[in-house]
Amino acid sequence: MIKLAIYGKGGIGKSTCTSNLSAALARLGKKVIQIGCDPKADSTVNLLHGDPVIPVMDYMRIHDEEPDRIEQITKTGFGGVVCIETGGPTPGLGCAGRGIITTFSLLEQLELFERIKPDAVLYDVLGDVVCGGFAAPIREGYAEKVLIVTSGEKMALYAAGNINSAVKNFEDRSYAKVRGIIMNRRNVENEEEKVRAFADGAGLEITADIPRSEEIIRYEDMGMTCVEGDPACETSKRFMQLAQLLIDEDNNDD
Amino acid sequence: MKNVSRILPMYTADTSGVCSALYEFGGMTVIHDASGCNSTYTTHDEPRWYDRRSMMFISALTEMDAIMGNDEKLVNDCVSAAHDLHPEFIALCGSPMPMMTGVDFAAIAAEIRGQTGIPTFGLNTNGTVSYISGAAQAFEALVREYAHPVPKREGTGVNILGMTPLDFPLGAERSVRRWLTENGMELVCNLGMGSVLDDVKQMTSARVNLVVSQTGAAAAEYLRKYLGMPYVFGVPIGRGFSAKLAEQLRAAAEPAVGGALADGLLSESDADTLVIGEAVYSASVCAALYEDMGIRAHLLCPLPCDDRFLAHTGGERIFAEEDIERYALEMHPRTVIADPLYRYIVPEGARHIGLPHLAFSGRSFQRSIPDLINTDIKEYFR
Repeated sequence: MIKLAIYGKGGIGKSTCTSNLSAALARLGKKVIQIGCDPKADSTVNLLHGDPVIPVMDYMRIHDEEPDRIEQITKTGFGGVVCIETGGPTPGLGCAGRGIITTFSLLEQLELFERIKPDAVLYDVLGDVVCGGFAAPIREGYAEKVLIVTSGEKMALYAAGNINSAVKNFEDRSYAKVRGIIMNRRNVENEEEKVRAFADGAGLEITADIPRSEEIIRYEDMGMTCVEGDPACETSKRFMQLAQLLIDEDNNDD
Repeated sequence: MKNVSRILPMYTADTSGVCSALYEFGGMTVIHDASGCNSTYTTHDEPRWYDRRSMMFISALTEMDAIMGNDEKLVNDCVSAAHDLHPEFIALCGSPMPMMTGVDFAAIAAEIRGQTGIPTFGLNTNGTVSYISGAAQAFEALVREYAHPVPKREGTGVNILGMTPLDFPLGAERSVRRWLTENGMELVCNLGMGSVLDDVKQMTSARVNLVVSQTGAAAAEYLRKYLGMPYVFGVPIGRGFSAKLAEQLRAAAEPAVGGALADGLLSESDADTLVIGEAVYSASVCAALYEDMGIRAHLLCPLPCDDRFLAHTGGERIFAEEDIERYALEMHPRTVIADPLYRYIVPEGARHIGLPHLAFSGRSFQRSIPDLINTDIKEYFR
């Protein structure tokens, strides 16, 4: 099974990349679960044509009890992708990291993986590994590989460096390993050189190169991923290539 | 106001369950918690504390350790203590503060095991659920680590699973051994009271497991699933039911594989007596009342219990105080058998027979906890 966590600086395009990758995996015949791990709860919206799933934390806030069926906190989007959002507390209150941990143990309790039997699980994680909760997706039993999304912008690269160090800190713990970088281009000057220099310095590979594209914006305005809207465009092809690479690697691991 | 208790105390928490389950096996149990409160786990809830040593420690977690995620301190302290004390194993468990910060005990345990070579397991306790969960996790971790296939011994060897002082009085371990001997069976390991780690290593030489509380159910299921050992639920209370249970145990020890529930371990629906308490023990009380005294009794379990078990025994699983109170009222029982602290919600006109339960009322009535195993119960419940 492909178990992947996507990290990166806030606003860098993690949800866009994750959703397109989920859609690409689905187009290649895989059963996919995408779990948004961000209080903003907007990871899966473009797989759902703008009709969002109720976040787990919102469900608990409204009903004052845990859901007892998976269907209460999931929605099926493009290509049969099962969409889940952890959500989080009221902004400025509570503990968002704890919300992620609670959601994960709830999903375990509801036997999510046993019931859905996915080929791929993608965790789209908020910004940075700021506390224990945001490391939960890379713990043993969850993601096995991490892809870091970055552009050539200085702060995005800085955040990518922090994420890489944070994941390395857990080397002794059988946690996920960084698989590589998704270069999500922003048309920064010398972008490729900058990202490549960072990747070389960190000993990482640029696993995918996503061009700056109007298609992504156009299809997101329509509430869908680029891979759904125009699978033949260059951006979609890059996601399809990344999906195929992950499938091949997973087959080899088996 | 569901789950708010105005009158009843709470059952003791999962951390106490871990400490109680592991007390006699020579390991080092470390509760990741602020210093100053370990007396709850190890004295208020532990009658063995006063005459028997056991390595139970608090990590003395500070606010800054929690904020900074200073797991290394816990790792280093455990490694250092292990070098000094040479425990057989190390068990790590949590409290509310590490729950909030998401401490990964399984990963920390793996680090400690890597550095010391000592079997170490992380248990997911958080101080907010009952002792059943903690003790069950601890027993399961023990059998996963130490119960491996060994040749079967001659005769009918039996393991007892789930006996701790939280549910049984001191001395119950001797009573149950005596009962087995009288019925031509032999105790191999009593998981919780009266056995040592070497006995756990010999568990699979037994032919059958007897689960005497829900704290033993997870370990029993593991032993069934992975090591092919059948198990039976029940506590040999009174005379008639004890004899039936022995028969059932001997039958289950035959080649048949799979969990089994004792015949006669049934709470009655048209009962006039209500028994409130831990599921296996209280269902056994119901069965014993019927066998020895012809009393029809009904089970109300305010603690987690196995669905399959409850489906077989009948009875109710109700957690909230107001629901327990309402159920007791609407049932119109003539008698309620429950811990003395339940007397405040016993319906008017009903008689209350106190059956103290350490996991509920702590040391308050410890001296009055009866040992009902394989004995005449008529006097106690008269």
